Amino acid sequence: MAATATGVYHTSYASELRLRHTNAERFRLVLMIVGLLALPWTVNAYWLGIVNTIGIAVIGAVGLNILVGFTGQISLGQGGFLAVGAFTSALLARAGVPVPLAMLAAVLMTAAVGAFFGLPALRLKGLYLAIATIASQEIIVFVVRRWGWLTGGQGFLDVERLTLFGWRVPRHSFEFVWYWIIAGLAVLAVISARNLFRTALGRSFMAVRDQDIAASAIGVDLARTKLIAFAVSSGYVGLAGALTSHYTETVTWERFTIDVSIQYLAMIIVGGLGSVAGSVYGAAFIMLLPPLLAELATLVRGFAPFVADQLPAVQAAAFGLVIVLFLLFEPRGLDRIWQRVKDYIRFWPFRY
Amino acid sequence: MRRLLLAGAASAALVLAAGCGGPGGSAGGDGGEKEIVIGVIADLTGATGDVGTPYNEGMLAYVDYLNAQGGIKGHKIKAISEDYAYKVPVAEEKYRKYVSEGAVAIQGWGTGDSEALRSKVKDDELPFMSASYAEVLTDPAQSPYNFVVAPTYSDQMRVALDYIAAKDPTAQVAVFHHDSPFGTAPVADGEKWIKDKGYQLGYKAYAMKTGATDYIGLLQQAKDQGAKYIVIQNVSSPAAVVARDIAAQQLDMTIVCLNWCADELFIKTAGTAAEGHLMVQPFAPPGANKPGHQPIREYAQSKGIDLDAKGLHFVQGWYTMHVMAKGIEKVLEDGKEVTGPNIRAALESMPAVDTGGVIGPVQFSADSHRGSTASGIYQVSGGKLTEVAAAVVPKS
Amino acid sequence: MTEFIQLTVYGLANGAVLALAALGFVLIYKATRVINFAQGELLLVGAYLFYTAFVLLRLPLVGALVAGVAAAAVLGVAVERLVLRPLIGEDPIAVIMVTIGLAAVLKATVQMFFGTAPKAMPKVLPAGSVAIAGAPVPLDRLLAVGIAAVVLAGFTVFFRWSRHGIAMRAVADDQQAALVQGISIRRVFALAWVLAAVSALIAGILLADISEVSQNLAGFGLVVFPVVILGGLDSVPGTIVGGFVIGLLSQYAEGLAPGASQVVPYVALVLILLLRPYGLFGQVRIERV
Repeated sequence: MAATATGVYHTSYASELRLRHTNAERFRLVLMIVGLLALPWTVNAYWLGIVNTIGIAVIGAVGLNILVGFTGQISLGQGGFLAVGAFTSALLARAGVPVPLAMLAAVLMTAAVGAFFGLPALRLKGLYLAIATIASQEIIVFVVRRWGWLTGGQGFLDVERLTLFGWRVPRHSFEFVWYWIIAGLAVLAVISARNLFRTALGRSFMAVRDQDIAASAIGVDLARTKLIAFAVSSGYVGLAGALTSHYTETVTWERFTIDVSIQYLAMIIVGGLGSVAGSVYGAAFIMLLPPLLAELATLVRGFAPFVADQLPAVQAAAFGLVIVLFLLFEPRGLDRIWQRVKDYIRFWPFRY
Repeated sequence: MRRLLLAGAASAALVLAAGCGGPGGSAGGDGGEKEIVIGVIADLTGATGDVGTPYNEGMLAYVDYLNAQGGIKGHKIKAISEDYAYKVPVAEEKYRKYVSEGAVAIQGWGTGDSEALRSKVKDDELPFMSASYAEVLTDPAQSPYNFVVAPTYSDQMRVALDYIAAKDPTAQVAVFHHDSPFGTAPVADGEKWIKDKGYQLGYKAYAMKTGATDYIGLLQQAKDQGAKYIVIQNVSSPAAVVARDIAAQQLDMTIVCLNWCADELFIKTAGTAAEGHLMVQPFAPPGANKPGHQPIREYAQSKGIDLDAKGLHFVQGWYTMHVMAKGIEKVLEDGKEVTGPNIRAALESMPAVDTGGVIGPVQFSADSHRGSTASGIYQVSGGKLTEVAAAVVPKS
Repeated sequence: MTEFIQLTVYGLANGAVLALAALGFVLIYKATRVINFAQGELLLVGAYLFYTAFVLLRLPLVGALVAGVAAAAVLGVAVERLVLRPLIGEDPIAVIMVTIGLAAVLKATVQMFFGTAPKAMPKVLPAGSVAIAGAPVPLDRLLAVGIAAVVLAGFTVFFRWSRHGIAMRAVADDQQAALVQGISIRRVFALAWVLAAVSALIAGILLADISEVSQNLAGFGLVVFPVVILGGLDSVPGTIVGGFVIGLLSQYAEGLAPGASQVVPYVALVLILLLRPYGLFGQVRIERV
């Protein structure tokens, strides 16, 4: 029966530290695991491919949310960091390094680059930091486009199909195999991010977001914390970039423009700033929008051909409209909407 | 109790949602022979949409024309054409969609998507033609499933350099190119050609900034170089800006446009500043009235399309699809099944495709996927492309 | 010498347009503390509004200008009322993102109605060139500099001496004190957006005239940031100086090292942020906990 629980009480430290406290939460977790396991067998290759891109976006969005949502440092430089991760991993793989190691190296490299580009955050805040990150994004893209050595003068990199321990991913089950790799890494990313914010380091990130001057007064080393936040966040984004390069098998600068940075920001705004689950919801929402609109366009082609003819413009307009509408009506995003749904059911018949 | 009910409803909803997968496979032909599915990735509203749209229209018009005649040996062609707005990730998504709908061949568009899909079409064994004429796509060792119908950018550059060397052996040539692999594609090959042929031409390349309102800086550098000819490897709009700047500065320089700025759009945008410049264009514009334009004219008239307004990119799309259709025709003539590898083998072994003078005869081989090497040279006079030399090949 | 003069004139022309575009940005920031990421798209919309009035509706030049200004004013009021007012007091990132979303919607709407192909528009400024110290310089760019200078001077006069201008400065300085004086904050906010839209319209028309009416115009929006950071986010004279400086810098860079001019404004931006984050003329902000 609803509305009888007066709260969740713990009788041991172990139970307090658990990630799920109530039976309802545990049940939903089981549902989700079942869903994740069953998914690749229920959708066709095209939609599985889209799910894979969502998975990669989840990793990137979680990373970005650590920086923007939890540490309050506005950053528009994701595209550049994705590029660093992608190029590092691709170049190392071409040089013969086994792919898992190459990806690990990409994570570390992007974390280092992220920490470097996080140096302006020590002097700048808010809007100025945002503008500095725009500059870093444009400079990284410029370097990637012009530095011939990176791509051997070709302008883009070809990446060999993924070969793990001598076994090459077969063509007919390409999406299927990648689903398990990406889903596994995404789950790891989400759990590790969740855990991060139960540690002292995570709490110091949030302290910096809320009131950084007061935080430094109680002993949080601002410089160190901000740089670590940039590094950790960029590590996640670097992993997403490395996955992109091996999954799509080409690395071109066109994937890493400022439009991509804006897309990731949209994901965490729509999903909910400062919430790991929100990053997942937001990533799924924003990445599903274009294909769903494409399906809608073919459906209404009969009486509204305009949508199908101008599909890219409609998709761009829908993207902008979604951002504006969410900010106007629910600035705390999908996560908050889900919370409200749960609360409504939980407290029924009471209002609060 | 209530919670249990809600949980049950939630899991039922989840199962239902998981149950409805995405779009099913391709629909088979209704009655008659099986359809041949070709995926077309087009840029209709993106950065190069102004030339991508007539190209795509020409391609689809050819499919319509072919189907009206009963298709290829009774098999109709189902062309799935979608707009990727020049965004490479969208091109990849469209590609996956076409593969899942049973496409046996793909028509692409730009350098970005051609390169991005190159290794995928190799793994998936699907022949790929596009409007990107980069030399690397003609080498079967590197790109076994790519076929380039027109002369490559490097071939066009060689033709341009031959022409300039014949007219003015000691001239300085400046190359203005788009800031991308598309732009740099012919640059190194041009320099090598001058060395190989022992020309006395000076040669220097400059990258054109995207979206610039003027190219005064570049023109000044070219002037310092003493350049008399400016070869432009870019699309029409920036080339038109260069033309207008040359006119405004009253500089004595002649532009030599390679195929992507050698079109009616350049003339329209540059206006009077376009007069006197040279164009290297492999595909004959409708105004040249070659025999190969005849079927297109007839089709256009029957559909009420103004062919001259559509321009040469319509013709380009038409004939690119024509070459692919010829490959499929050979597969069927040989009695084989229409699959990717069979189309590839047919394209490599078929006799030269005659295009009635629109572009030189197109022929591929197992060693070379370069369809033709001849381009026409035109000059802008009276606001029109006037032929100066036809079917010019690089000097051997 | 002739090359230097040519580069300077072209640089000043681009700089003048940049200054006009950045002016709108600064106006909005000064009055409402909102960072408008949609400034480039306002330029785009302004140019296409004028194109509609001048070419599609075939109004005479003055009529088209008046129609364009009126339409831009309506757009400014609508944006402020519908999109920005509900977000007063929210997190800065929310406000930034809403303007980004607005930018995407504006750009996509223009694309839906006009497509991506560049549109031909008869020249508003006279063609032809004039010789300055032996260097042929196009007349339309000189006139663009002149027109922009006049508009910018007009705005400066407006702020210093007109009642509404002084009201805007009061609101920018201290909103509560201005309220107490009887100044309507809502009207000032709306006025800031209207003026921004109108200045973007004029900048868009000038830019479209010297280059072309196409989607490329929106790209100018990103270069506005180095300009306002250099000049100071809340300083109008700073913006004017910043605009000309960035315009000249880019053009000289293009003349010396072609291709590098794309990244020069951003490198300049990083340098300014490291050395003088508040810009040449901006006010230093003191933060209290």
